[in-house]
Amino acid sequence: MLTTTNNSTTTSRTLTSKQLPKATPWVVAVASIIVAIIISFIAFGGFNIPVVAVLAGLINVVAVFAISASYEGRRKATDRVATTVVTSSFILACVPLISLLWMTISKGGAAISFDLLSRTMLGMKGVLDQQYVAGEATIAGGFYHAIVGTVLITAMACIISIPIGVLTAIYLVEYAEKNRLGKAITFLVDVMTGIPSIVAGLFAFALFSTIAGFIMPDAAGIAKTGFTAAVALSVLMIPIVVRNTEEILRLVPMDLREASYALGVPKWKTIVKIVLPTSVSGILSGITIAIARVIGETAPIMVTAGFAKALNWNLFSGWMSTLPTFIYDSQLRPVSPGDAALASSERAWAAALVLVALVMLLNLLARVIAKVLAPKAGR
Amino acid sequence: MFSYSKGIFVKLKHLAPSAAILAAGALTLSACGGTSATGEEASGGDSDLQGTLTGIGASSQKAAMDAWTADFASENSGVTVNYSPDGSGAGREQFLAGNAQFAGSDAHLDDDEAKQGKEACGADGAYEFPVYISPIAVTFNVKGVDELNLSPSTIAKIFKGEISKWNDKAIKADNPDAKLPDTKITAVHRADDSGTTENFAEYLKATAEKDWVAEVSGDFPKDFGGEAAQGTDGVVQTVSDTDGAIGYADASAVGSLSKAKVKVGDEYVELSADAASKVVDASEKVKGRGEGDLAFDLARDTTESGAYPIVLVSYHVVCSSYKDQETVDMVKAWEKFVVSEEGQKSAADSAGSAPLSDDLRSQIETVIDSIKVEG
Repeated sequence: MLTTTNNSTTTSRTLTSKQLPKATPWVVAVASIIVAIIISFIAFGGFNIPVVAVLAGLINVVAVFAISASYEGRRKATDRVATTVVTSSFILACVPLISLLWMTISKGGAAISFDLLSRTMLGMKGVLDQQYVAGEATIAGGFYHAIVGTVLITAMACIISIPIGVLTAIYLVEYAEKNRLGKAITFLVDVMTGIPSIVAGLFAFALFSTIAGFIMPDAAGIAKTGFTAAVALSVLMIPIVVRNTEEILRLVPMDLREASYALGVPKWKTIVKIVLPTSVSGILSGITIAIARVIGETAPIMVTAGFAKALNWNLFSGWMSTLPTFIYDSQLRPVSPGDAALASSERAWAAALVLVALVMLLNLLARVIAKVLAPKAGR
Repeated sequence: MFSYSKGIFVKLKHLAPSAAILAAGALTLSACGGTSATGEEASGGDSDLQGTLTGIGASSQKAAMDAWTADFASENSGVTVNYSPDGSGAGREQFLAGNAQFAGSDAHLDDDEAKQGKEACGADGAYEFPVYISPIAVTFNVKGVDELNLSPSTIAKIFKGEISKWNDKAIKADNPDAKLPDTKITAVHRADDSGTTENFAEYLKATAEKDWVAEVSGDFPKDFGGEAAQGTDGVVQTVSDTDGAIGYADASAVGSLSKAKVKVGDEYVELSADAASKVVDASEKVKGRGEGDLAFDLARDTTESGAYPIVLVSYHVVCSSYKDQETVDMVKAWEKFVVSEEGQKSAADSAGSAPLSDDLRSQIETVIDSIKVEG
């Protein structure tokens, strides 16, 4: 503690040294924001959010340091500055998230209705939107077909990628033991994690175009189906499932496996009855996170499933819409250009709200699964 | 060991009720789901056509396409028409590669593509015809001025920044009777690459070549200055918010803003659906193409009385022959509906396009009638 040559302050550097009141950082923060707003009004002639945010941050750091240094000493002041920077960064990281949620909830919440949830875009035309914007009719159209498409395509993607992903992870952890094949697979999975989603979409589309060209050379455009989209999504999903499952399986204590072998249980039975049940909560929540990750994909769906307007329950024939492609299409290419584009925009926001709610539900579900199925310690 | 795993199954049982509730919810939703945009079940119509038509192409047609597919479906409930607005170039490419039965395109096929059409569609090649004519308005917002006449060279000079005040001599010469204020001109153009800009530039290049020195492209020339706005809505918004602003935008999006009359020959022509389709009638067909190829070289510099030359013309490209009768029947029924009076009116109501003239329609119908089964 005795690091300074100044004798008058050394005596005070004990636990009983002078300390600022606990509320000080918050008071200083509020004061900095007020000062920043005043400066913004003087220098920029109005309330300018980015200017205020940057100024407030800088003033806050300087003020905290100055106040703390003059009262508590330099070491405390440095500590407080570090705390301030870390806290500000955290708040900064939260800003986009909160702003996004707020936009979606306020705009989507204002637009959403049961009609939108239960109708499709079949028979939708600009005149209906013009009537709505003119106040002569209720909003027409909806995205029931997109909800169905999202659920079906994502479910199909899960059916394809969960067995492949989980079994690959089991091979890597239980059988590969760092042999060449295992290393090669790990490398390929790493590469796959980095594949841009549009490339996955083009891959699936090219694959099925080729297949369709062999089977039915005369039929145009039959390669675009929900199943093609599901394959594209599984290309994105498999590496995530493999990675997550691998991590979880490695966490299972070796003691459990050895105890099982010692009782004469064969390897496959050890995996099925010991390793998997122990790690099931982690595996399931990893899968749920992978689903949440691919459910919002837009680009691969656009090239593989097209833009359907009608309800389609068949994954193997015809185009399908999902919520992300519906949002993209509505916002960018409204049913009616001009003033009535507002109606398309409202449908897009409502769909965005449903999508965000779906993703949040999935994340919540992952938490619940992890909690409920987690093996109890000390058993 | 086994009791350990049994524990997991007991835990799974806890999750079962919530899963059941979710499933029940999904079923309820699907039970109430109306299958159309208005919640009414689609009436069958009396056609017995069955199948799917796939089209890829220009996004400019998207709003009209929505209207056409909606009305076509109400008469032919067995036919699904899919349209993917991937862009004109993508549409032509995919069509020629055989991935779509028809393409929508803002430009007609070039000579190379017309040749490729023979490989994709048989000896008669691909047929193309205009289906969607969309006038582009020169819109302005000047306090106290409701009507404005502009000659092509004045428009060019305004948008390249040479004319900067509304009471400039050149504008006065076009509008001898108007009281023009001493307001600064804000020329608003599209910030993004767009077909509207391309057609607007093509018009100025053809009619005021001396003033419009830039190359024709979908990007507005950067060194001409002016205010850039994102998308059609952005241009319209900026013009309506700024006193002294002038811009160009798809006529359907302009709303209540004033539209300038454009000098054609010796008169000033007001934007109207008739005037817009007239310019297509006054245009020559592209030379050296087959009978069924109704590609037009737009006569931007036409002096035809009452024609409005700033238009975007979008085509449908189909094959002259398809492999089976079913597809032929579907394509015929679909394209006939698109160019029919009813179809064109539907597009005009929903997308603000200009209907085809009767003369052009009868030409197109002859072409559609000649689509046949291959061989």
